[in-house]
Amino acid sequence: MTEDSEHTSRTRRRFLAAAGAVGATGLAGCNGILGDGGDGGDGGSGNGGNTLEDFRGSGANVGGRGEIRGTRMDDLPDLSGQLNIYLGGGEGGLYTDLLSLLGQRYPEFEPNFRLEPSSQLVSKIDEEQSAGGGSFADVFWAVDAGSLAAVASQGYTRALPDDLVEPVLEEYHPDNQWVGVAGRARAVPYNTNQLSESDIPDKVSDFPDTEALQGAMGWAPTYGSFQAFITAMRLIRGDQATRQWITRMQEAGVQQYPNEFVVSNAAADGELAAGFANHYYALRVKAARSNAPLDLAFTSGDAGALINVSGAEILTGTNKVDLAENFIAHLLTVEAQEFFATRTFAYPMIEGVPPVGGLPRVSELNPPDIDLQKLDDIEGTIDLLRDTGAL
Amino acid sequence: MSTREELAALRERLRREADGDGLGLTLLSAAIAAVLLSPVAWLFLRVTDIPTAEALSLLTAPSTTRVLTNSVALVATVTTATILLGVPLALLTARTDLPFRRFFTVVLALPLVVPSYIGAFAFVSAFGPRGVLADALAPLGVERLPEIYGLPGATLVLTLYVYPYVFLTTRAALFSLDASLVEAARTLGKGRVGAFREVTLPRIVPGIAAGALLVALYTLSDFGTPTIMQVDVFTSYIYVAYNGFAADQAALLSMQLLGVTTVILALESRIGQDDASAYASGGGGSATRIQLGSWRWVAALCCLVVAGLALVLPVGILLMWLFRGGLGYSGGGFEFELLFALNSIGVSAAAALVSVLLAVPVGYVAVRRASIPARLAERATYVGYAMPGVVLGLALVYFGVRFVPTLYQTLPLLVFAYVVRFLPQAVGTTTSSVLQVDTHLLEAARALGQSPGGAFRRVTLPLIWPGVLAGAALVFLTTMKELPATLLLRPTGFETLVSYIWRVQGAAYYGQAAIPALTLIVVSACSMAVILAQERR
Repeated sequence: MTEDSEHTSRTRRRFLAAAGAVGATGLAGCNGILGDGGDGGDGGSGNGGNTLEDFRGSGANVGGRGEIRGTRMDDLPDLSGQLNIYLGGGEGGLYTDLLSLLGQRYPEFEPNFRLEPSSQLVSKIDEEQSAGGGSFADVFWAVDAGSLAAVASQGYTRALPDDLVEPVLEEYHPDNQWVGVAGRARAVPYNTNQLSESDIPDKVSDFPDTEALQGAMGWAPTYGSFQAFITAMRLIRGDQATRQWITRMQEAGVQQYPNEFVVSNAAADGELAAGFANHYYALRVKAARSNAPLDLAFTSGDAGALINVSGAEILTGTNKVDLAENFIAHLLTVEAQEFFATRTFAYPMIEGVPPVGGLPRVSELNPPDIDLQKLDDIEGTIDLLRDTGAL
Repeated sequence: MSTREELAALRERLRREADGDGLGLTLLSAAIAAVLLSPVAWLFLRVTDIPTAEALSLLTAPSTTRVLTNSVALVATVTTATILLGVPLALLTARTDLPFRRFFTVVLALPLVVPSYIGAFAFVSAFGPRGVLADALAPLGVERLPEIYGLPGATLVLTLYVYPYVFLTTRAALFSLDASLVEAARTLGKGRVGAFREVTLPRIVPGIAAGALLVALYTLSDFGTPTIMQVDVFTSYIYVAYNGFAADQAALLSMQLLGVTTVILALESRIGQDDASAYASGGGGSATRIQLGSWRWVAALCCLVVAGLALVLPVGILLMWLFRGGLGYSGGGFEFELLFALNSIGVSAAAALVSVLLAVPVGYVAVRRASIPARLAERATYVGYAMPGVVLGLALVYFGVRFVPTLYQTLPLLVFAYVVRFLPQAVGTTTSSVLQVDTHLLEAARALGQSPGGAFRRVTLPLIWPGVLAGAALVFLTTMKELPATLLLRPTGFETLVSYIWRVQGAAYYGQAAIPALTLIVVSACSMAVILAQERR
């Protein structure tokens, strides 16, 4: 995908052009998905035989989903038994609904999960495993590749079988120690009243010198995904250039926010002209306010176009290897992928399931050619952010 | 033998006795302190992983110095501001004819239960650029509000949420104060102000100092507020290092933080000691209330403003998020259950009970024995309070997995973590109450045939009860809102109010934090009312 430079000029552009109408109507339909959240998890038929519809979000955009292809849960052995899952990350909370759907489908399946920040679970797994008694969890499911790689690099994971990871693009299971199950792209949410798509450069390196963006940009440097973006920039362009970029952004008056949902809302409100955020936050803003003057742009082939994944890995010391593997296989079925796409607005990891909201497909984006495993070098990123005073 | 000689002999016997069981009590106190300090050992283990040169360069880096300066400045401004706010409010509710005193007492103590990440977030939502207030004023031609980010804003928000420490400890000190002393001073021709300055103030200074110490250490260890208010402090630094899988760096920075803590503890202990000799008497009848006249309504208005800013504002913002759910602030499909509230109450009550049981011996011994080991033990209990919760939690993961695997991720270890973090709140209020107990009363009880235990039970305990209760209340309220250690150490599947709030906020569904946050505030209000009702039993 990265070698396909012909795609660049088309795909980096805001998805609005392709999704203008869908953006208004399709996303307005997402209101239904988000608005009735209080009773989430009860979408299942309750008789243990729930269908694709139960996993799919309810909303107007579902009508336009078309045909989706891939392994179905019916094709897999039933899940059965107790599985301890360390579930990392804020957005990870959204996955608990999927776990309860699975629990409904398989009455014999008992997923025990602990939801904590990803990095906290990495440290915890380290403390548990280094004590020698094995981990207290069978599966680690984290919202970022860096956390997955940090655990894998310590030798605390066991390799996944080839046929399990086969449906997923190579870069999202680099050494088969973990596999991506849902993706999120770095993007530039911008206010369409203040900017037009042509104002937003194709490369993040050009942002500090862009006249239209002076004093009008926002970022959230304490947010993990932002730090992954900076780490990617360091991998591609080196520490020196990254430091310069941060400094020049500061000189251009970039403002600091606590997280990227706030950045995206600030862009929708016109407090910012544009910001740095994960793609799905803008979709959430649009889902709630379909007429918000907000759109997404994607840069091309650089750190600004990074696609990070939420993924799963099996921890050493587990005596439930078969169940753990079958569970991860379930995360890659059509039903689970449809859940990620329509309920969390994430990028599906299998080719047969398209993303929602007129987003370009993963294979149409032009992410940088870097090894996601190396995103675990956050220490250096933090040093850099501190030295420049961004943190 | 004359009566005088008999009395001297009794005193001598009491002194020798005291030296004897003093050793036992001091050992008990030291043992408690040692157990509470165990998490610090983990810091040393982690830090030894870092090469010395790297450690030195990290500690002396310009950015480290910068956050250190910021932290110290924030501690100084917040501590000063909380004293200026907390002491007058304590006096108003405890010593004057302020209308609706009981209501205000509860309401003014409540901001303590609002988690800082909710309070600060509400402030930014209300007063920030494009906030609720800015939107409301925009049609009136107000284009720019004063900047709320930065040190002044962080000071304001922190002050509003932590002044109850000073408020509660000062109240406890006021209730332990023998009112006849004030009356005597008045009889001797002192004016109200003079009597306050020369009689009341010196006697409540340890109480104020105990509260101020808690404020200072809380400010030092808080992460949420400075981050949201965009002030770089030590804890945000530690948090970021920790998030970057650099647990050893985080440990090193935490040790530096503990260095600052030690300095603060030493400073506060000077205040406590200087005035320890000033306690002639205590626990007498309650004073006649100061009549405020028509000022009482002005005073009530001031109390309302404080409560409005600290309580109504965040609650209002939360409700707004809840009801405009269509704006993407709610949804996501997380179901709230009443069980979460019961879980919170259960563990908080357990933590409060254990803390009080430990705080009474530690506080009592530190004052009565006044030996260096006893005082050190008392000071040492404060160290856990200044450890960032995530560092403390991870230290207990380390010890739990290795030494007590059967307790790991069970409630007893979680309660232990709370005790390590919050015991000092109970120790502080207990100590300042014990300071006010007249030792002559104990001698009298012994002369009348009470055993040492009996004298403690029948004389000391009733007198220090207000302080002990205030301590229990503080531990309860802060445990209710504790997050990092809860996430790390709770049993799998054990969901509390704050873990639920964290979950919905992490997914950026802020509106859904409204119901659990309101539950948190209501439950805490009820327990505060119960506890404060017993204050003057």
